Parts: sequence; C-alpha cells; structure tokens
Amino acid sequence: MNVVAGDKIPDWLMESVRPERMRTMAAILRDPNPVHWDRNACAALGFGQRTINQGPLGLSYMVNMLHAWAGQGSIRRLVMTFPLVVLDGDRITARGAVTDVREVDGERLADCDIWLEREPGDRPLMGTATVKLAD
Amino acid sequence: MAQARPIPPEAEIRAIVGHNFPGGIYTVAHWENFLLTECTGADLLADGMVHPVVLFHMPILGCGASIAEMFALGQAESDFSIGIESYDWEMFSPLHEDVPYAISGKVVSAERRATADGHPFDRIQFQFEVAHAGGAVAARTTITWHYRRGLPS
Repeated sequence: MNVVAGDKIPDWLMESVRPERMRTMAAILRDPNPVHWDRNACAALGFGQRTINQGPLGLSYMVNMLHAWAGQGSIRRLVMTFPLVVLDGDRITARGAVTDVREVDGERLADCDIWLEREPGDRPLMGTATVKLAD
Repeated sequence: MAQARPIPPEAEIRAIVGHNFPGGIYTVAHWENFLLTECTGADLLADGMVHPVVLFHMPILGCGASIAEMFALGQAESDFSIGIESYDWEMFSPLHEDVPYAISGKVVSAERRATADGHPFDRIQFQFEVAHAGGAVAARTTITWHYRRGLPS
C-alpha cells in the first residue's frame, strides 16, 4: 500500500443518522441517558425534536472509513474529541488525511487526522488515528 | 430564577482516583456484534471479528461497571451534566465473537478544573484493559469525561 503524508483518505458517508439506531445502541450500551432516545428530553435542552447520536457511533463512522481504506483490523489507535453533537437526521461524512508514515517494530504505520463533517467547516468529531498499512 | 446545584467537595472527587471496578469476563455474542455493527452502518466484519466500536461498552460492562455507576461515582448532577473530552482506544489485536476476554478497569485521574469563563467541572479519567485468556492485552481504552458543576437545577 503506497501511502505518503498528505494523502487523503476516501470519504465514508452516513446519508442520514437514524434515531432507531441510537435506540438500539442505547440498549446495547445500557446507557440510561434519554438524550439518545427521547426527543422531548432533547427539545427541553434546546436541540429540537432530534435525539443526540452516541459519541461512539460517530466514532464508528471513522472506523468504517479507515477499514474501507486500509482494511479490517488495521486500526492501532484512535483518539477522539467531541466538540459538537451529531443529531438524528444529520448527513455526516467521515474524512481523513495522512499526516505521517513511519515504521515501528517492522510495521508500517500511518498517522492520520480524522474528522466528521456535517457541512464544510463544521466538524462535530475530530481526532487522530494510527493505522497499520498493508505490505 | 433557577438555583445552582451544590458542588461536591473537591476532596471527595480526588478520592476516587485508584477506584477499581470489580473486573470480569466478557464475551461478545454474534447477536450483539450483529446489532452493534448494523448501528454503525457497516456490514459485518470478516471471520467473526468484532467491530471496534465495541470498545466503548465492552470494557465498562465487562469489568462490572455501568455508565450509570460511572456517572454516580463522579457525583454527576444529572445525565445532561456530562461532557466528553476524549476517547482514546489502543488496539493491539482484533477482538472476535464468542471469545471470552478478561476486563479490568479503574479511575486513573480526577481533578477539579474550570472553563475559560470560570465554570467549574471535574475532569475524570477511567482506564480499562481487555486481555486475552493468556494475559496479553488486546485493547486499552481511556475515557475522559467532564462532570459540569453548578448547573441550574
């Protein structure tokens, strides 16, 4: 896999963040926070009748992007921050770019900036990833 | 006018550093991985590999904790008072369905801070390890949450 710093990672698109997936996720996570399944609770907080996506679900869109690019099982590290919430109905694109390529213990690793984009310049999740590159 | 809620003593927050969760074994069943992966919008991964998004809840539940308990441990004012600073997931080897993993977890830091405009919050870090049966660590996760204080009741 020929990768150099500055390369862009192909986008991964979530056409519409779906509230029923948040509800399933809340059950799997045993997460009692109603912001993920009760639209009235979100309205009371000023988000309108739209539930808030779980942080890990937003992160998972970037996992899917990295898997599609570098292969399943390639991710070595993810560090993610959550400056803004993602809401049901949002159209979200996972994006990324390679910042460095290095070799550690015989593995070629790519360090990447990764983020979710709702509109150009609007990045609700931002972070970094380290990915093992195929030989 | 709404009253600000009382803020727990800083010493009580600092005292939770070193708190160990009970620890335990967690096995991701096929149904769980199927539903979890569907929530991400991806297809199931090959050869029974578990989607890495499992690294949020598997360590928490596997070590005998819960999100509600973590909120309570830091004396969260409400579910809405928690903010995420970061999730740091280190993956040393892929996880697979129907394989038991040993999980441990603890509080590694807890300190009072203030936002740039002076609002207090407690920054609490939890760290979990997911290990193979032989003891090799397969993944390590660090959750850093902000427990916002003095919110209107």
